[in-house]
Amino acid sequence: MEKVMVKGTEAIGEAAIRAGCRHFFGYPITPQSELPEYMSKRLPEVGGVFLQTESEVATVNMLYGAACTGTRVMTSTSSPGFSLMMEGVSYMACAQLPAVFVNVVRGGPGLGDIQPAQGDYWQATKGGGHGDYKLIVLAPSTVQEAVDLTVLAFDLADKYRTPALILADGLLGQMMEPVEFPEFRDLETLPDHSSWALTGANGRKPHIVTSFDIDPYVLEKMNLELVEKYKEIEKNEVRWEEFKTEDAEIIITAFGTVGRIAKSVVEMARKDGLKIGLFRPITVWPFPYKPLEELAEKVEMFFDVEMNMGQMLEDVRLAVKDKKPIAFYSRMGGVVPTPNEIYEALKKEIGRRVK
Amino acid sequence: MPKNFVFIGLFGSGKTEIAINYALHLKKENEKVAIADVDIISPYFRTRDVIEQLEKKGIKVITPPGALKYADLPIVSGAVAGYLNNEEYKTVLDVGGEENGVVVVGYLKPHLSDAEISFVVNTRRPFTSTVDGIIKAYNQLSKIAKVKINYLINNTNLSNETTEEIILQGEEIVAKASEILEIPVKFTVVPEFLNDVKARFPIFRIERFMKMEL
Repeated sequence: MEKVMVKGTEAIGEAAIRAGCRHFFGYPITPQSELPEYMSKRLPEVGGVFLQTESEVATVNMLYGAACTGTRVMTSTSSPGFSLMMEGVSYMACAQLPAVFVNVVRGGPGLGDIQPAQGDYWQATKGGGHGDYKLIVLAPSTVQEAVDLTVLAFDLADKYRTPALILADGLLGQMMEPVEFPEFRDLETLPDHSSWALTGANGRKPHIVTSFDIDPYVLEKMNLELVEKYKEIEKNEVRWEEFKTEDAEIIITAFGTVGRIAKSVVEMARKDGLKIGLFRPITVWPFPYKPLEELAEKVEMFFDVEMNMGQMLEDVRLAVKDKKPIAFYSRMGGVVPTPNEIYEALKKEIGRRVK
Repeated sequence: MPKNFVFIGLFGSGKTEIAINYALHLKKENEKVAIADVDIISPYFRTRDVIEQLEKKGIKVITPPGALKYADLPIVSGAVAGYLNNEEYKTVLDVGGEENGVVVVGYLKPHLSDAEISFVVNTRRPFTSTVDGIIKAYNQLSKIAKVKINYLINNTNLSNETTEEIILQGEEIVAKASEILEIPVKFTVVPEFLNDVKARFPIFRIERFMKMEL
């Protein structure tokens, strides 16, 4: 396939269509409105359905309904919009429904601003909605990776019958890069959901998809089923990238867009002879605790960089424990750190410790 | 030579880069040049993000006032019409993409009697990769802009992966669209890092402004 120039938001939309998604429900919010805009043009071309909903609450419930039929369905939104969807996300997790959500994160909390941020990490990985549930959360750092992870998100959602989330940020959503799209998935080859999906009970017993049981012992069984599933996901689906960690003495930890900026920092530092490497979680849930812990045995220090008040930092601490010191640098409010400023901050940390 | 220059196109076709570079090009021959950022839909990567760079080069930049420049609100400063009418200035309009962005051109039409309107096409973008796609986009935008489009611009590129071959493939498609629409091609855009591109249309070399340190 020949390469094309696309924005992150458009790339996620096209990747979803190629993955076999034919249903998109969504409500516009900056900085991701190009995604529904793209889907509104593209889905009719492939016999799909685009619907602009009246609100995010309506959106998530339409996803619930569509997912009940076993079809591939997606929505995208940005921070405050995702907060509005939380109740439905929790319902879908309990009802074990596959669907893909996209959160193109912007500055927060509250109405915040429309610039890029990473303040929704906790919401994405630690719940966000009520009750005991997890989302599979994928954090791309380039437009090409956004394409690849969108396809993966659909496959994982189907495999585990669970909602998956693409955790992007405004910068990734808005930047344009050359990408290559995968071939169109043959819809006939998509996973078979006929054992549970609501497809019309003609000649068979009705299927029931629900997030409810009045009997606590039955609900507890449902809880335990989810727990088992999450253990499976933790066992099989942890993904991360290591960059120049083999001989590294200091490891930068960062996800998403910052992971990409940190790569430049590693290159800058290496030119100066500093042995710096990068550890970038790709699945922020399940978080790659074990490989990070293993690195903690080898290196001297960690430097976590995020566009929030230190959210992934807690997972980095859980992995590193008290084995090695962890320094932290952040920008918030929609301010994107430059490679230079991160490098300067890193050098200060190194200097502080050498004394 | 027209007094004002307007660049329209779909999302991400390269209007802003071309508008900025065209303003710099005009500055070589003209003492007073202004560029008005009337992009009412893009949240990032806008002319207003490089105000300092342009003002250093003597270009007057018109944007929504104060902190409002960080918003994606439909604000068109009153100063825009002023610069479009001010005979001392050559003025470039950087318009937002798609139908919703080009609405501004319709709104400013009373001030665009002496303006050249160009339609920017990157054939490596979705929806304008074919002759049919370009014609469809042209029809959509000219209906909303309510002005006659004077030129097409071939801005076929893959950012820093652009090659001569990619540019010439784009020319091929844009040339066919130009024949059918009976609108000439103003130029083919060539990035500063490529030399000796054998284009059939005049070459316009650009430097990239919409980039981030990553």
